[in-house]
Order: sequence, then structure tokens, then C-alpha cells
Amino acid sequence: MESVLHTKNKNLWQKIHRSPLFDISQYILLVGAILWFFSNSTAELGYNWQWYQIPKYIFTHDETGYSAGPLWKGLMVTFRISWISLLLAFIIGLATALFRLSDSFAARILARVYLEAIRNTPLLIQLFFIYFVLGPVLGISRMASAILALSLFEGAYTSEIFRAGIVSIRRGQWEASYSLGLSTFDTYYCIVLPQAIRRILPPLTSQAISLIKDSALVSTIAIYDLTMQAQAVIAETFLTFELWFTVAGMYLAVTVTLSFFVHWMEHRFKVVT
Amino acid sequence: MPIKEVGDSIIVVEQINKSFANGVKAVVDFTTQIQRGEVVVVIGPSGSGKSTFLRCLNGLEEIDSGSIVIDGISLDESKKNRLEIRKEVGMVFQQFNLFPHMTVLENVNLAQRRVRKKSKEEANAMSMDLLKKVGITEKADNYPNQLSGGQQQRVAIARALAMMPKVMLFDEATSAQDPEMIGEVLDVMKDLAREGMTMICVTHEMGFAREVSDRVIFMENGKIVEVGTAEHFFTAPVEERTKLFLNQIL
Repeated sequence: MESVLHTKNKNLWQKIHRSPLFDISQYILLVGAILWFFSNSTAELGYNWQWYQIPKYIFTHDETGYSAGPLWKGLMVTFRISWISLLLAFIIGLATALFRLSDSFAARILARVYLEAIRNTPLLIQLFFIYFVLGPVLGISRMASAILALSLFEGAYTSEIFRAGIVSIRRGQWEASYSLGLSTFDTYYCIVLPQAIRRILPPLTSQAISLIKDSALVSTIAIYDLTMQAQAVIAETFLTFELWFTVAGMYLAVTVTLSFFVHWMEHRFKVVT
Repeated sequence: MPIKEVGDSIIVVEQINKSFANGVKAVVDFTTQIQRGEVVVVIGPSGSGKSTFLRCLNGLEEIDSGSIVIDGISLDESKKNRLEIRKEVGMVFQQFNLFPHMTVLENVNLAQRRVRKKSKEEANAMSMDLLKKVGITEKADNYPNQLSGGQQQRVAIARALAMMPKVMLFDEATSAQDPEMIGEVLDVMKDLAREGMTMICVTHEMGFAREVSDRVIFMENGKIVEVGTAEHFFTAPVEERTKLFLNQIL
């Protein structure tokens, strides 16, 4: 009699803690606890939270329609720098990976030197170097310097991701392709790269997200991206905490959207091994 | 066996040597000639260099010394020569090596379109003919991972034949198969042999050798130990090592 009750209770417990409702409640409790802890500690700071002031810095709405506030304008600049740098970084990355894998000694050395130089110096230093030293020499604008620095930096890391993907393709694929008479170019274009790209979408996404966040550094050379705009508004209004939380949230929104997009792409082009 | 038309020498291999970086001598002073239309089977214990020899013939392995001439083209450092030879020499691998991100039809089409520069319609027509020949037309739009091992290997054979090669190399084409599947692949290979294709097969299938081969080469430690017809090997092998090996596999 006792053991039947015991089993019944055990089954009930198993049912409860395997249900999705249990997981969701656990999560809500955890988040609630964290938020409660946060609000209690910040209350100690004696800070006057003025969240209602924030929206007007994102956009304003009057008779003529919506017009962009400084934060939104900054976001657009961040977008622009990010997508151009991303494109360039991928091109540089793929080229460098192919150079590292080529038969030509010169190509391999060039790629290696570039990779080691860029990976072992901080982005901030590279940014300053390109803006203050190379910029006047090459006669390029502030924006171009920023994009160049970002692309070169992220390109180096991207190239290793590409190389890892290419090298992970089974040797048999190369051999089958070569024995059919396909050239090296055709082998890469038709066989190796299509398979490699599908495998490296996760680390490539991480790299893209890194780039978007690293783009905040261009504020140090007075480009009015999202971070710089936030600093400008804070200088006027001293709404430090609200603005930084908002800006962090905006960066988060952008990178999460990117993640979802890539996740969708991964589903569409499922990895076939 | 009906008398077969065998032509002039299409492959001339002269004293080739191949060693690997770790010092292993895979192929040692190997000399042979393959006639057009001849079916040659290469047998030997594992590590004897059979596959390496095969892979030297289409440039997948570079020889250290000696010469290989295929259909008048010399296989040397020249990239152009290597590409030309690879168009005329087809290879079928033990692990099939089909392209997993393409359908069966696309697999067979690819080389025709990129190398022979055919149009999509021409390539499709030829591919479907070849798939019919190997008995697998209904799977044309499937992906390789949806096929059984025997089906995949037959697609691999069709893919190699799509380039209309003069020579077909089979590197243990049935060694990775279930026993039930071996038959369907061997049937395709036997048909090819009867149609007059020049074939070099590394295999353990002695039944196949007996049925369609013109010559059997027994290799050990990279060297040719004995050469003869399949009948010769089964009835009266000369060398001790040959007898030892055959005792194990027959």
C-alpha cells in the first residue's frame, strides 16, 4: 500500500518537473530574482532614474512625421560601417585562407605575416595607426579608415574560420574532384566551398557579431556611431545609466536579429555530411 | 572467354618509384604496359602498394622517379598534362566520394559541364543514359545519403564514365560493400569490361578476376612478384609468396 503511494508521488513529481510549464516558471523566478536584486542595489546608489527621457533621443514624432533622434542616426552609422566591413572582412578572410592553402610560397608567407600581425595587436591600436598614420599617407577619410581597420582586423580571424572549414572537407572529395579533371578553381567553387560554408556558419555568425560590437571603437576617432552619439547625449543630459542600458539594448537587438537570420539560413541549407 | 580485341599500349609505366615522407617505399621499380581494351587486376596483401600504384596513374600521387605515359601524354610536373590525363582516366574509389551536397544527377553532370563544357541539356541526356546503364535512373533526383552503398558506388561509376575516359581505375571498389551489394557493382564492372573498356582494378574479388580479367599482377612490398592470367594464378602460381597469399584469400 505504502509503496504504491510512493510510486504515484514519484510519477507525479517526474511529470511536473519534465513539463515545459515547470521550466518556464523556473526561468521567470530566476529572472525575477535577478531584477529584484538589481533594483535593490541600485536603489542604494541614490540615482534618479528618468527612463521617460530616453525615447526622444531615439525618434521624435510631430506634425511632419517621424524624425530620427541622435541615437537612431548613430545606429544607422553603425549599420553602415558594420555591413561594409563585414563584406570586406569576408572577402579578405576567404582570400587569406586560400593564400594559406595555396602551393605558392609567396602567397603562404604573405597570408601568414598578415594574420600574425593583425591577430597579435589590439584593434584600438590598429585603428589609431590607420587613422593617424596611414590615413594622411593614403589620403583616406575618417570613415574609410574606420572601415579599413575593422575589415583588416576581423578579416584575419575570419580567414582562420574559413581555413578550418576548408580543411575539414574529407580528402576524398578533393581526390574525386581532381580525378574527374576539375581544376583547382572548380574544385573550390563547386565542391569544397559550398560544403565548407555550411559547416562554418556558426563561428562566422560569432565573428559577425564580434564585428558589430567592435565597431563601437570607432567612436574613439570621433565617428558619430551609436556609441559616440550616446556619449554626446550623456555629456548634455547626464542620463548615464539609462542611455548605456538603452544603447546596450540596441546593440543586442541588432546582433540577435543577425543570429536569428543566420539560424534560419542554417536550417534552409542543412549540413549534409 | 571469347577472344577480345586488345589494342596498342595505352599506358606505359617505366621503372616508377614512390616513397612516402615517413620513408615507406610504396612502389619500387615498377614497370608495366597496359594495352587498350585490356582488363588488369592487381592483387596483393595490404600495404603492398597496389592503391598507391593506381593513384600514381592519374597524378593523385607524384612519382619520385621513372615515367608514366598515358595515351601519348607524359605525366610529369606540367599541370596541363596532368589535367589532360585526368580527363582521360576515370577513377572509382573505395569510399565512393560522391558529392553530398548535390543530387545524383548533378553529381554525374558536374564534370561534363565544367570540364567538357557541355550545356545542361546535353549533360542531362548523357547522365540519364549512364544512370540507365548502371541501373539507377529512378534515384536521379535523390541525394547520395539517401542511397545504399551499392547504389552510391554505381553512381560513382556513372560519374566517372560521364567524362568518357579511355581508362577506368577501380581502387577496391567493392571492399566497402555489404556482400549483397557487391554483386550489383561487379555486374556493372563486368559489363564495362565486356564492352572493351581498358580497366585496372585493385580488388580482392578473385571471381571477378577469373571472369573478365586478361592479366593479373601480384604485388608485394611495392614490387611486382608475379604476372599472369587469372587461370595461371588459380592453377599453377610460380612464386612462393604468391602461393602463400592465394592460400589466404582463396
